[in-house]
Amino acid sequence: MPSRELPERSEIVIIGGGIIGVTLAHELAKRGEEVTVIEKRFIGSGSTFRCGTGIRQQFSDEANVQVMKRSVELWKRYSEEYGFSFEQTGYLFLLYDDDEVEEFKRNIEIQNRFGVPTRLITPEEAKEIVPLLDISEVVAASWNPTDGKADPFHATSAFAINAERLGAKLVEYTEVKDFVTENGEIRGLKTNRGTIKTGIVVNATNAWAKLTNAMAGIRVNIPIEPYKHQAVITQPIRKGAIKPMVISFKYGHAYLTQTAHGGVVGGVGYELGPTYDLNPTYEFMREVSRYFTRIIPALRELLILRTWAGYYAKTPDSNPAIGKIEELSDYYIAAGFSGHGFMMAPAVAEMVADLITKGRTDLPVEWYDPYRFERGELRGKALQMG
Amino acid sequence: MRPLDLTEKDPSKKVTIYFEGQPLEAYEGEKLPVALLANGIYWLTTSTEGRKRGAFTFGPVPMVLNGVRNVNGRKTRVKDGMRIERQRYDEFQETVEIDEGKPVERVVVDVAVIGGGPAGIGAVLEVQEHLTVALIEERGWLGGDLWLKGLPQEGFGEKSPHEVVEEMTSRFNGNVRLFKGTVALGVFEEGEYFLVPVVKGDRLIEIMAKRVVLATGAVDNIVLFENNELPGVFRRDFALEVMNIWGVAPGRKVAVVGSRPEDIVPELERWGIDYIIVPNPKRAEGREKVERLIDMNGNTYEVDAVITAEGRRPDINPVTQAGGKLVFKRGYYMPVLDSQHRIRDGIYVAGSAVSIKPHYANYLEGRLVGAYLLQEFGFDATPCVYEERLREYEPIPMTIQSIPFESLNLEDVHICGCGVSLKKVDDVVRKGITDLQIIKRLTHLAMGFCQGRFCLFNGAVVVAQRTGSDLSHIDLPVARPPLKNVRMKVPAGGE
Repeated sequence: MPSRELPERSEIVIIGGGIIGVTLAHELAKRGEEVTVIEKRFIGSGSTFRCGTGIRQQFSDEANVQVMKRSVELWKRYSEEYGFSFEQTGYLFLLYDDDEVEEFKRNIEIQNRFGVPTRLITPEEAKEIVPLLDISEVVAASWNPTDGKADPFHATSAFAINAERLGAKLVEYTEVKDFVTENGEIRGLKTNRGTIKTGIVVNATNAWAKLTNAMAGIRVNIPIEPYKHQAVITQPIRKGAIKPMVISFKYGHAYLTQTAHGGVVGGVGYELGPTYDLNPTYEFMREVSRYFTRIIPALRELLILRTWAGYYAKTPDSNPAIGKIEELSDYYIAAGFSGHGFMMAPAVAEMVADLITKGRTDLPVEWYDPYRFERGELRGKALQMG
Repeated sequence: MRPLDLTEKDPSKKVTIYFEGQPLEAYEGEKLPVALLANGIYWLTTSTEGRKRGAFTFGPVPMVLNGVRNVNGRKTRVKDGMRIERQRYDEFQETVEIDEGKPVERVVVDVAVIGGGPAGIGAVLEVQEHLTVALIEERGWLGGDLWLKGLPQEGFGEKSPHEVVEEMTSRFNGNVRLFKGTVALGVFEEGEYFLVPVVKGDRLIEIMAKRVVLATGAVDNIVLFENNELPGVFRRDFALEVMNIWGVAPGRKVAVVGSRPEDIVPELERWGIDYIIVPNPKRAEGREKVERLIDMNGNTYEVDAVITAEGRRPDINPVTQAGGKLVFKRGYYMPVLDSQHRIRDGIYVAGSAVSIKPHYANYLEGRLVGAYLLQEFGFDATPCVYEERLREYEPIPMTIQSIPFESLNLEDVHICGCGVSLKKVDDVVRKGITDLQIIKRLTHLAMGFCQGRFCLFNGAVVVAQRTGSDLSHIDLPVARPPLKNVRMKVPAGGE
């Protein structure tokens, strides 16, 4: 179990004990690095705690497809090795008109080029996969059976336990209050529970990333803002009723699937912010109900048990900022995941660990260049669904 | 008369219903579980893990009604020729009727009072002369817990509770809009107003109110013993309901368990129901329902039913959803109030939602909050009169029962209705996890149909007992909307 003991010093300190911070600590510890995670609440308590379950490779650009291809390989490997559940039950994008079909044909071509076996299927094939679907308006679907889902909290816990086994220190209920720097170099971090000496810091605080950057005195503009996104869960139903993640852009950018416990979980595109407020709203309850019941009519008679909210830490192009910040050595950022950070975590951990230990990585990390905003080089918007 | 009828029913309302194919006598308008109970049938549904469940303690009651699955048994009223079958929790209706949804009605009032017990009624009576009020009550009747009682209650003289409630509510004037059988989904801010979306039947109504009164009452504590979810286990409130509202006995011979048998025994005596008090229950047993109760000393009692009476605590869910904070005092969590009985600007709390005390004191507290409201709206009122009278009623402290972990088979003790055993929770706590947020996530405690109403408190007790920490240092997770389960078609419907 994570401790509350703050070590006197650590080679590398990661601020933030969500899925990104924890998988990175795990990867670094595996490489024999001395690493400490500092988390202000408990491990996995932020957006990870509130996150849907989806893991997909169906993106619309080369970098994200490659990174997610690698990430799924890692999800598969670690879920087997550490015994948490990662089910490859697929992602199903429902398409309703020719424009959507054309767009997804292009996406599928890119995905196939990097070995992601997505294909365009008929509405009838989609209904075979999810018999509860209403396909009366669906003209085709984009289907990749190797996408999947995992419980974010269980997965984070599994990575945390194994990171500790490999020697990483995870310190909970400890908040970083300030940086100690000297001549543009990091010397340590002040926390509410004492100071830790270190030379290398990773900002893995996602929704709080701009606050962490400000604390570090970083001047380069990395626009990451917290937005309120909400989710719903229904009463549990027969397991296996909705296996894949089902997505419908037409109906409110909805995403929905079934949890391991049996409830139907998901959300819609409805977004509020920038804000740090997390109170669920009545408008969301109405909107999600309206859209979900159009996609799967049987949901009409299911009871809503609960709604909740979490942050999407958004950047202007919905891609994260991952890389080294040169003005303060050695300061790295891996934040701004814009709603799809959970699925990316294992590959991001690999990329950032590569940058720290080798100064380079084989994965296309430059796509997520933290300086792109200042240079005005926004990427194509990453698909931002579930 | 049916085997468990306490009173003669109106013969003109006699109907026949079919349970699992078997014809049974019932009376038009009766609640389905009550009609079945009168016929000696307790086991109505089966949990996903395969455990038999009844309707009179925690947990949902999904049943098959005329071939339609996942109908709420507790909300079903019998009709002639009705066919009812059991089902498992996770069965659902795969083909459903699709309609456009009923139009959403909007009601604008000065004050929305959530809860029609003595406190809610008191608040309405105080303000109705000057302000418009929507009174929202989940049950089919007004009077709350008071209405469940058969015996005269302190402060109201020798009148029966029914007479008291009828006399009070007959004074409601034209400024009062009554929503019975209506659940509130939450309190949301909308500009100058609070939006209280409510559901009546399948209809969504948006109540816009300048001020809100949470007169949302208290909930019964759950007693932890083995097989405490077996059909035939009655929570105090359900036992009172079947006897005093429906004229049906929980059983021919019942055992009373829990630390406050005095809350139910006089009512059993009134009806002449044979009872025994068992102060230290260990295990209920029976094939389809309770047949016997075994205590910690190994004594066995042959009974038809077990009634749990462990006191009540404020229902904290409406308070935390509306943005209120909690404090632990006198053995329970209660809302933190300012000097005007508010959890925040515009939202007042009254009655057993605040603290546990006699019904009359809750009524006075409703009047008090009403007086504060009148003052806020600029009318003359004298809250100090009610303040003074309220001071005569010291809130009742609840004792926290120590859980006898060592003497129980924890796997058979249910902490909530969704298949979460005491063992599941205890295992996690013993691993060193004491944050209820994490416990929720790992065990599904407080993530089911009751949204933690009946289990979260016991979860906190487990943490306190196992870690030796005080309940006042344990933070409870806040409630999220909807406050009560709602079928998705309801918020989906209408424009």
